[in-house]
Amino acid sequence: MSNRKVAIVGMGGAFPDCADINEFNDKLFAGKSLIREWPLAVAYNKQIRSTVSGFIEAEEMGLEPIYMAPGNGFPETYVDNLNRIPAINLATADLGCIWAMLGAQDSIKQAGWTKDETESEQTGVVIGSGGGGNVIARHAWHAFFELGKKSRYAGGHTVDRAMAYREAANVSCLIKNKGVCESIISACATGLGNIGYAYRLIRFGLQDRAIAGGVEGTSLESFIGFDAMQVLSKGFAPAESSRPFDIRRNGFVSSFGAGIVALEEYEMAKARGAKIYAVIDEYFNNSDGDGNMFYPSYDGQRRLWKGLSANAHIKPDVVKVHGTATPVGDILELISVVDTLGENGYHVSAPKSQFGHMLGGAGSVELITAIMMLENQQVLPCLNSDTLNPELENFQKADGWKGSTKPAEAYRHLIPQQTLSKEINQIVCLNYGFGGTNSAMAISRDI
Amino acid sequence: MERQEIIDGLIEVLRTVRTIDPERLNNVTEETDFLTDMNTPSTELINIAAKVEQKFDVEFEDDDIDNLGSKVKDIVDLIIRAKEREA
Repeated sequence: MSNRKVAIVGMGGAFPDCADINEFNDKLFAGKSLIREWPLAVAYNKQIRSTVSGFIEAEEMGLEPIYMAPGNGFPETYVDNLNRIPAINLATADLGCIWAMLGAQDSIKQAGWTKDETESEQTGVVIGSGGGGNVIARHAWHAFFELGKKSRYAGGHTVDRAMAYREAANVSCLIKNKGVCESIISACATGLGNIGYAYRLIRFGLQDRAIAGGVEGTSLESFIGFDAMQVLSKGFAPAESSRPFDIRRNGFVSSFGAGIVALEEYEMAKARGAKIYAVIDEYFNNSDGDGNMFYPSYDGQRRLWKGLSANAHIKPDVVKVHGTATPVGDILELISVVDTLGENGYHVSAPKSQFGHMLGGAGSVELITAIMMLENQQVLPCLNSDTLNPELENFQKADGWKGSTKPAEAYRHLIPQQTLSKEINQIVCLNYGFGGTNSAMAISRDI
Repeated sequence: MERQEIIDGLIEVLRTVRTIDPERLNNVTEETDFLTDMNTPSTELINIAAKVEQKFDVEFEDDDIDNLGSKVKDIVDLIIRAKEREA
């Protein structure tokens, strides 16, 4: 089996409250929050607990929804007011698919791939999202089941705009690659999982290039599922509502976005003089194996690190954690990191503190933040991590606990509250998902 | 409803179909063919039918849709037939 090196040569996507990736970079490293009160959620104020989100409106991305009929609220298609995506491709896309296509365009532009390279049999597309095309499906189902309308009422594009691998399909039809076109779907590990899978395709010699990433299109339909679980942050001003590690954290902020990267076999990228944003050192994923759908697993995370380190040199300067700001997850994750790497010599970054949890987009957008940290040689701040618990967490007091018995407060020095400049050569990115799935990727500067 | 009135309404609908070049809607007659003259992707025809139903507040029979021709006059006939059926 071949064992090739893989480079990240381009990136793009959709980011809350940002016109483009440059604004995303600037706002993040300036320590800003991208979380806002969401007018659509506020409109359902009586039915919903949480109304804050890192959401993206169609108009903010230069897109305009066209409604099936006046007043029915069903976006039959979108118009790209900036003429980036042809109408024939927009017709088969929901909002998240359009973000994926825009991210793919930007990634390919940065990568500098020729038309022949992009359209090659050696170019793959691996993109997925956490949820289905819920905005599209809701209107089609409502018209059929509640209004008693013909199946065609919502038009002929319900399947292509709502199917599970719609982002990959739309990107592939846009860029006309002839290699793999697939989606990896693994809840909140989806974003990193797709990039990890694409990395393996290149590493093992099955493809030379790939457009890969994760997406979660703005959807109140998706948001309300999490709201119903009572797992969303409540009771804080928008910018203060995502609080990884803080003692007052009470849930995550459900957000939306897309992160797309261009991957290429390293020697090919080097030979044509491409800018190499980062090299992927290793990707590893596993499962908790404890039968629990939701609860994080210390054992699963320790095994994740072991697998990541088995065949690669892993000594990160920054650990980009999943850090959602749920009561158990953050500190359990922090301890699994500390018990693996020790108590010094690296920093912990939780970018969800700035933009919330993008679900299927989280892993890929956060990988992009890690690439930016490598580029800028700066660690992103953990906003709102004001006070760390001086007492032990309940799980640390349980019988059979094998991890650290120090409280979170003992690790304050690992979690910067402001942007921190330092030498960064390697970053490990961690993401987990419902079902007990865990994923880790290590990336390094090309030096 | 007069046939020209229906054609005007139909063109309004077609202007909201993004995959049809608006230039091609300037000289539409009853003989204009959606597929050959307007270059409409065939996957869009069902969308056009669904939008026409909503615009004219009618519901077509499934068989009528299955047998629908691709000319403007075919849709106009269909709308008139559906209106008569509901009257």
